[in-house]
Amino acid sequence: MRILVIEDETKVGCFIKRALEEESYAVDLCEDGAKGLQMALITDYDVLIVDLMLPSLPGLEILKGVRQARIQTPILILTAQSQVDQRVKGLDAGADDYLTKPFAIDELLARIRALLRRGSTESPGVLQIDDLALNPATREVTRGGQRIDLTSKEYALLEYLMRHTGRVLTRPMISEHVWNQDFDTFTNVIDVYVNYLRNKIDRGHSKKLIHTIRGSGYMLKVD
Amino acid sequence: MPLRVRLTLWYGTALALILIIFSTILYVVTARSLRDAVDQSLEETAAAAVRSLEERGFLPLIDETELMSQFPELARIDKFFQIFSPSGTITIRSPNVKEHEMPLSRQALEVAYSGRTIFESAKYPKEPPLRLISVPIMYRGSLLYIIQVGTSMDSVEETLNRLLLVLLVSMPVALAVSLAGGWFMAGRALRPVDAITLAAQRIAGGDLTQRLTVPASADEIGRLTKTFNDMIDQLETSFRQIRQFSSDASHELRTPLTVMKGETELALRRPRETDDYKVVLESNLEEIDRMTRIVDELLFLSRADMGEVKMEYLPVPLDMLIEDVHRQASLLGQEQDIQVVLRATAPAVVLGDELRLRELFLNLLDNAVKYSHPGGTVDIALTIEQTHARVAVTDHGIGIAQEDQLQIFDRFYRTDNARAHTKKGTGLGLSICAWIVESHRGRLEVQSKVGEGSTFTAILPLAPASA
Repeated sequence: MRILVIEDETKVGCFIKRALEEESYAVDLCEDGAKGLQMALITDYDVLIVDLMLPSLPGLEILKGVRQARIQTPILILTAQSQVDQRVKGLDAGADDYLTKPFAIDELLARIRALLRRGSTESPGVLQIDDLALNPATREVTRGGQRIDLTSKEYALLEYLMRHTGRVLTRPMISEHVWNQDFDTFTNVIDVYVNYLRNKIDRGHSKKLIHTIRGSGYMLKVD
Repeated sequence: MPLRVRLTLWYGTALALILIIFSTILYVVTARSLRDAVDQSLEETAAAAVRSLEERGFLPLIDETELMSQFPELARIDKFFQIFSPSGTITIRSPNVKEHEMPLSRQALEVAYSGRTIFESAKYPKEPPLRLISVPIMYRGSLLYIIQVGTSMDSVEETLNRLLLVLLVSMPVALAVSLAGGWFMAGRALRPVDAITLAAQRIAGGDLTQRLTVPASADEIGRLTKTFNDMIDQLETSFRQIRQFSSDASHELRTPLTVMKGETELALRRPRETDDYKVVLESNLEEIDRMTRIVDELLFLSRADMGEVKMEYLPVPLDMLIEDVHRQASLLGQEQDIQVVLRATAPAVVLGDELRLRELFLNLLDNAVKYSHPGGTVDIALTIEQTHARVAVTDHGIGIAQEDQLQIFDRFYRTDNARAHTKKGTGLGLSICAWIVESHRGRLEVQSKVGEGSTFTAILPLAPASA
């Protein structure tokens, strides 16, 4: 899952980015409002975290810009102002949720999980396909009740696949949602990680879940 | 008691008093002059009678018909006369006093013997009130006759009674009419006051956007309304400023709190290397310093607002102070490869607080260094201009946009550029600088162009002796 953080306070932006990365999210950080809006319009992010007080372009304008472009990405606004009207304006301009600074990291992460849930159709807290289960809150992955240990990137890749079960996911889609803007598109990193994942998920099971769609990409499904 | 009732009552009481005094005086004067006129007419008639008697050599009187024919003036209908002998018996009387006996009073007789004239008022049963004059006629020291002339006071009394009646009836009527008028006028005059009260109530309810409609007339109410509106303007402005200020203050304090909370929580989420903890603690220390500075500066400003900051007013040799500050700032600039140059100086003494002035110039120089590009220069110059010293601090850094120049002295105001350029500022430094300059009866000016740099000029009045 790829998240854009638009926050002008460098230190705040940095710890949010680190906290999210430790949860295996791919994170881009932007300190400037106008630039942030550009990034949000170009890349298909899964969640936007926007500070309301920004140089060059206020957070509210970013919200309006994103919604005018008919982008439905969930948006979480951060505000130092505890005033109700600021939050109301933010929510009315298209934000899905808000957090008032200072906030607890656990709350930030829980709200992002909630926003990701809201994004897809009818997924509950735990993602499940056949006997494979992934719990985003505990980051625990099991198959047939057996715990599977995954690296951060493997986990991120699996979460993305599981959130889009039954759909063909192209390599650009995967790179856009699992890696951040530092990702080099001209490598076979995605194929390498898909293989790692196959080894851990499908090896030893008669029922294969990860399928290669020739010429397009990958798909997670029950045969 | 409502003002309207009180006004009307005061007005009514004053009017009633005036009416009573006026009516009393009118009545008394009229009565007096009417009676005087009667007395005078009686006196004239009596004198005429005496003159006639004198002409006749005070001959003993014959009968009344003859007398009447000889003194036609005595035959006037509205008066009667009687002539008494010295013993007080009637010798002759005019025909119009036939019906009743009207003897000479004892007092009149006694006065007559002393040779003086007397006026009397008399009232006989079934007769109108009378006014009498009794004139003694003396001949060689002895009393010959007493001539009494009388007249009815009927018409005078009637006139006076009518006057009294008119006054008694018209006074309450006039009072009632003018009370009603006063009530109406007071209501009219007080209506704008009611409007002001209503508006004030709405404003007290928290709606500071309310304004009163100012009447066209430039009277007391017009002035009151205008004053009231001006007051609300100022209230609204200061309320907005306070709201803005507290929102800014909470924002400035929340940011370091957010950083500290976030970084600490993140560090505690899982076991980490010692160096990672060190980084977090160092970062937190930075934020603590930042908050300390904000709180110190806020405290200073709020004490300054309440007039609790002690200021000395002693002669300060400004040129020496500037040289000293220049040395300090040069060190500061070296770290960032910025040259601080003292362009001009002149002997100048100002009255003030040396510590505060030092803070002022260091602050300005610190800002200039902060917003300069590495390798650049910052100039400081002290010049004398008649009665003022000008200290100009010039940088060639990022500059300040025209629309921001008015606001940079506002508390917590930081331009986007300034925020992007340095994260260390509190947004309070220039407010403090402006306060220091103003408390020295000077002013702080700024000239700036985006991309070219800024000049801050402190203009301070020279101490009288050196001016």
